[in-house]
Amino acid sequence: MIKLTKIRKSFGRNEVLKGIDLTVEKGEVVAILGPSGSGKTTLLRCINYLEKPNDGVISIDDFTVNCKRSGKKDIHTLRQKSAMVFQQYNLFRHRTALENVMEGLIIVKKEPKESARSRSVELLEKVGLGNKLDAYPSELSGGQQQRVGIARALALNPEVILFDEPTSALDPELVGEVLAVIRKIAKEGITMIIVTHEMSFAQDVASHVVFMDEGIIVEQGNPRDLFRSPKEERTKQFLKRITPEGIYSI
Amino acid sequence: MKLDFGFIWTAFVQLLTAVPTALAITAVSVFCGLLIGTAVAVIRLYKIPVLYPIATSYVTFIRGTPMLTHLLLIYFGLPIIVDSLAEALGLSFRSVSIPMIGFAYISFSITAGAYMSEVVRSGLLAVNQGQIEAAYSIGMTTTQATRRIVLPQAFAASLPNLSNMVIGMLHGTTLAFTVSVVDINAKAQIVATTNWKFFEAYLAAAIIFWGLTIIIERLTALAEKRFNLYNRGGVS
Amino acid sequence: MGEPIDISYVLEYLIKLLPTLRITLLIVVSSIVIGLGVGFIVALPQLYKIPILRRFSQIYLSFFRGTPILIQLFLFYYGLPEVLKLVHMDVSRVPALYFVILTYALHSGAYLAEMIRAAVGAVDRGQVEAAYAVGMTGFQAFTRIVLPQAIAISIPVFANLVIANLKDTSLAFSLGIMELTGKSQTLAVMSRHFVETYISLALIYFVISFGLEQLFHLLERRMQRHNRRAATEKKEQSSKKLRYRWLSAGIGFSRGGRENEA
Repeated sequence: MIKLTKIRKSFGRNEVLKGIDLTVEKGEVVAILGPSGSGKTTLLRCINYLEKPNDGVISIDDFTVNCKRSGKKDIHTLRQKSAMVFQQYNLFRHRTALENVMEGLIIVKKEPKESARSRSVELLEKVGLGNKLDAYPSELSGGQQQRVGIARALALNPEVILFDEPTSALDPELVGEVLAVIRKIAKEGITMIIVTHEMSFAQDVASHVVFMDEGIIVEQGNPRDLFRSPKEERTKQFLKRITPEGIYSI
Repeated sequence: MKLDFGFIWTAFVQLLTAVPTALAITAVSVFCGLLIGTAVAVIRLYKIPVLYPIATSYVTFIRGTPMLTHLLLIYFGLPIIVDSLAEALGLSFRSVSIPMIGFAYISFSITAGAYMSEVVRSGLLAVNQGQIEAAYSIGMTTTQATRRIVLPQAFAASLPNLSNMVIGMLHGTTLAFTVSVVDINAKAQIVATTNWKFFEAYLAAAIIFWGLTIIIERLTALAEKRFNLYNRGGVS
Repeated sequence: MGEPIDISYVLEYLIKLLPTLRITLLIVVSSIVIGLGVGFIVALPQLYKIPILRRFSQIYLSFFRGTPILIQLFLFYYGLPEVLKLVHMDVSRVPALYFVILTYALHSGAYLAEMIRAAVGAVDRGQVEAAYAVGMTGFQAFTRIVLPQAIAISIPVFANLVIANLKDTSLAFSLGIMELTGKSQTLAVMSRHFVETYISLALIYFVISFGLEQLFHLLERRMQRHNRRAATEKKEQSSKKLRYRWLSAGIGFSRGGRENEA
């Protein structure tokens, strides 16, 4: 279980997160929606401590960090409990696909090379890249890179995988392959938090949807209710802008 | 023109004895320059108070003045500083015991440090911020991320500049004659004075430098192939 | 060695050194001007991929960037008269200064050739195509479209080459030229105030190179003023490349980028 309590984050004078409370149950797939600048990516990055929140409490599993008094060690432990899939993939440029996946296992988890290797191969096969083990990121398409990114995150066996707009840097024709992989692993019961603009995907995959605007959570609930009958005016406006008809069919 | 090919060969062989000196000065100045340059680059990247303006003036001054003036200033200035310091501290050490080549080492290291700081800086800047974030996201510590992700990429990105730096310092060793170190250039003078065949002697010196430079370039190309393997896909 | 240090001499020597700045600047300006011509001639076979000539210009570049300027100075000073004797030209009475200027011109020419090649290569291919599309001839496209853009691109590199050339002139003393460094050496030996003299010397070089840098900065801004927005965009795209060029050019004694595999 992941529990965020009163998370606040400012960049200079600009308060991006104004006290976020969010609970994610084990095995849940949470989609965070909202207009750009609403703070959703910042929230995700705070969970991984890529941004240090100014205030609040983050607990993942049984490990709790108070953001006001977080030490290096806490941050390190917290990070090991989550993994991130980046918008720009951020594969290690000087490592092959296989090495990218193995890196965390060997360096962070201190696994022996052989088992790390076999597990990594397995994961790359799972995301459909069994034939690209020795390719460098620069030799892969965006969709392939992102699938390696997902395998890299999966390898660590984290409590939660954080997806930061995983398809928004991709050419339209490559979006499908990445979403298919995410869909596949969602079915396996891995906890996931996904920031996305793909409405139909969120609707289809998420078990819980969170709508954020201007640094707060405006509304949340199950996708069926939230998309069909949003309660808040801001949510309605947002959904209307995304889909002109304003009607979602499931 | 009567070019004395026999003497070019003689000079070439004799000049080879000065090559280790030139390589030693190059190696020392590049190595110390790398240390100084890394420190300066870090100071400037992180804008460390007090040290930042010092580092910046150091780089600006060194880059704005010829390497020869650094050597002359060190050669004449350093003994005064060393001797007065030693006197004040009551040490028996005196600057006369510094070997001539020591001045070349010190001065060229200071020169190299300023240029090297720019090499290191651009190398570090070439590493995308996302790479470090990715390293953190899979649970690496800062040390692990620096050693395994940042440094290898920064090194690969700096290879061409590093190579230029080594070549530059190698060529710079020709100045060492001003402090009576017998480098390749000084040796060429010495060899030539035996029979006044300066052209032949300098032709031999040029061939040696040209050869050494080509070797450095070839080694760099090999290293680039090895370390830049990951860029073979071209754009990304 | 020498007299005790008295910083008050620095100003005095500064004034004594200044007249010789003329010689230093004479070497810089004339060798850069000649060097630009040399650079063009050397760059052309590479730009247009002319078979045999291209090989020659590669060897030229490799030699002038592969050997120290000091060795080149001696080589030309001692060698050129010998070579010219073959065609019955006697240059043994020509002042050393001319040899120095020639050597610096040939040396800078190698780096300037690289600069020209890189700058022309950096101009977007689409620009030339657009020029052809509006009916320009190849010559018109080059002079009206490619050249102005290439010049703007190469200003930072050019600035560094000029400053490097200035610093390199400090070696001309080895052929007995009484430029700044040569003069400072005699001054130092005569007065025994070595440190003060060399501080003055360093200060003059520093002020000139710093001034030149500012001047070129201004020039660059002026040249890009008519399309500032496009300029910053362009900078964003190629900043990495330019920064690298700038950097490698900045490494005083070995100037310009490495020889690119092209």
